[in-house]
Amino acid sequence: MTAGGRILRADKLGKWYGNVLGLSDVSIEIGPGITGLLGPNGAGKSTFMKLITGQLRPSIGTVTIAGQPVWNNPGIFKNVGFCPEQDAFYEDTTGREFLSGLLALGGFPAAEIRERTARALAFVELQADADRLIRGYSRGMRQRLKISQALAHEPEILILDEPLNGLDPLSKRKVIRLIKEYRTEGRTVLVSSHVLPEIEALTRSIILIHQGKILAQGDIHFIRDLIDAHPHIVAVRTGRGRALAAKFVEEDDVRSVRFDEAQGTVLFETRNRDRFFERLTRLAAEEGWEIEEITSPDDNLQSVFDYLVGK
Amino acid sequence: MRNAPFVSVYKFSARLVRRSRRSRLLGALGLLPVILAVILQITRAAAAGGGLDGLEVFSNFVMGFSLQFLVLLLSLFFGTAITADEVDNKTLTYPATRPVSKAAFILGKYASSVSFLLVLVLTSTVVSFLILMIDRLSYGTAWTFLGRSLAALGFGTICYTALFTFVGTFLRKSVLIGLVFCFGWENIVQYFPGMTQKFTIMHWLKSLLPGLGGGMGSTEGGGLTAFLLFRHEPSPAGTAVAVLLLLTAVFLALAVAVFSRKEYLFDE
Repeated sequence: MTAGGRILRADKLGKWYGNVLGLSDVSIEIGPGITGLLGPNGAGKSTFMKLITGQLRPSIGTVTIAGQPVWNNPGIFKNVGFCPEQDAFYEDTTGREFLSGLLALGGFPAAEIRERTARALAFVELQADADRLIRGYSRGMRQRLKISQALAHEPEILILDEPLNGLDPLSKRKVIRLIKEYRTEGRTVLVSSHVLPEIEALTRSIILIHQGKILAQGDIHFIRDLIDAHPHIVAVRTGRGRALAAKFVEEDDVRSVRFDEAQGTVLFETRNRDRFFERLTRLAAEEGWEIEEITSPDDNLQSVFDYLVGK
Repeated sequence: MRNAPFVSVYKFSARLVRRSRRSRLLGALGLLPVILAVILQITRAAAAGGGLDGLEVFSNFVMGFSLQFLVLLLSLFFGTAITADEVDNKTLTYPATRPVSKAAFILGKYASSVSFLLVLVLTSTVVSFLILMIDRLSYGTAWTFLGRSLAALGFGTICYTALFTFVGTFLRKSVLIGLVFCFGWENIVQYFPGMTQKFTIMHWLKSLLPGLGGGMGSTEGGGLTAFLLFRHEPSPAGTAVAVLLLLTAVFLALAVAVFSRKEYLFDE
């Protein structure tokens, strides 16, 4: 397979659901390696995923894989694996039947189906439960089975829609390891998530999507820098709020200080969150300040995106 | 050995159909003729050979229950489920992201559902016939009647399932619409005089039954059969078969065309 066969390209891609915008003017090229598609819920990630896997028809623009259009072109799925977001299965089949049935749809001969099924089950560590009905699987097992069906035919392009959603930390680690292992021999892997640390655990290369538009594409340090370039709000609950405010107000990274009498907290707006926390920790440890609670009300992806789009 | 996409879909779908709750529930309905036949035969034995004639009871079964109710209901529930189940259960993503054409998907699933229904309906009909006709198996007309009945039920299953496969590809509330069609249109318009009754599938199916146009055997069917054949103006059996096959092909072609163009959105 040439590198061109592993390239997924969208050109001025747009999708409307009636009058509702799903995706707008997306032009992007995704090549070998792991790429993270990052955006808050409702940003258009799933719409993009469905468009690039031929489940939705573009309202405008084109989407191609290895130079071929995706819509109504089932032949491309010989080299594409897709793990959907939804927790949906043929519940009355066993894990082995599910995988072998889908491999049969891929046109493999019987002996190869058996071999590939066994290999995929081993890859996601489900051999012991392979002959149980899927309806009895735990959430983590179901997620791993979903991933295994996407890679059982060893596609050159693997597309995973929120593969870590709803998993416990142990299962998350397993799935992250599986995805990283799969990224060998120059394969293309696209992973979507609304959780920045999840994407950070997988790759440095990310695409930011928000309100149906691609905001930025590049190294993950780029978004980190963007985040750090914008002020963070940190709420500190302490019995000596005004004294604490006096300590911090002289620091040049602190932009403003406000008091929330109802909550009993001091709200600091800082340009350098890491430095702020370092000082706060030192105060608590060395000077014995009693700090009841520290929260960061805007420490989530939605806020970051709001900053980026200038809200 | 590598299977053609249609065969792969057929095999995968056949397993799902066999295991589904729908198959278990409606499969029990399909066995109802056998249970009724056993009860009737016991009743007849208790009446020391008297009571209803076996062939008459069987013809009532075929006309009143199997053809006008069972085949319609089974075809409706299995036909509409071909796409509706995949959409409602959000599993359509899996076959939709395999190297399988949409035509192979629809036709493979249709074939697996029809196979299941044919086995169910025809087996149940044959078994109930044997039970009811146990003392008259040497009666030639009875076998002719069985053959023609099986043909009507078989073509009914094939044609109605194709129709409801098509309906299921584009309507969200396809079962409701299907019920109106089955027990409204089909069950009323078939009794209209002249050309109008030919706009029902049931007209062509009834034309396959004995003594109603094919010239093969006849039945002295009793009250219910006589009522159901009221105003029926049979078409030749050959024409009926041709029309039923044509309708099946048209419905399936439409189902494939709609399925290939439509985007299926899951409720999220």
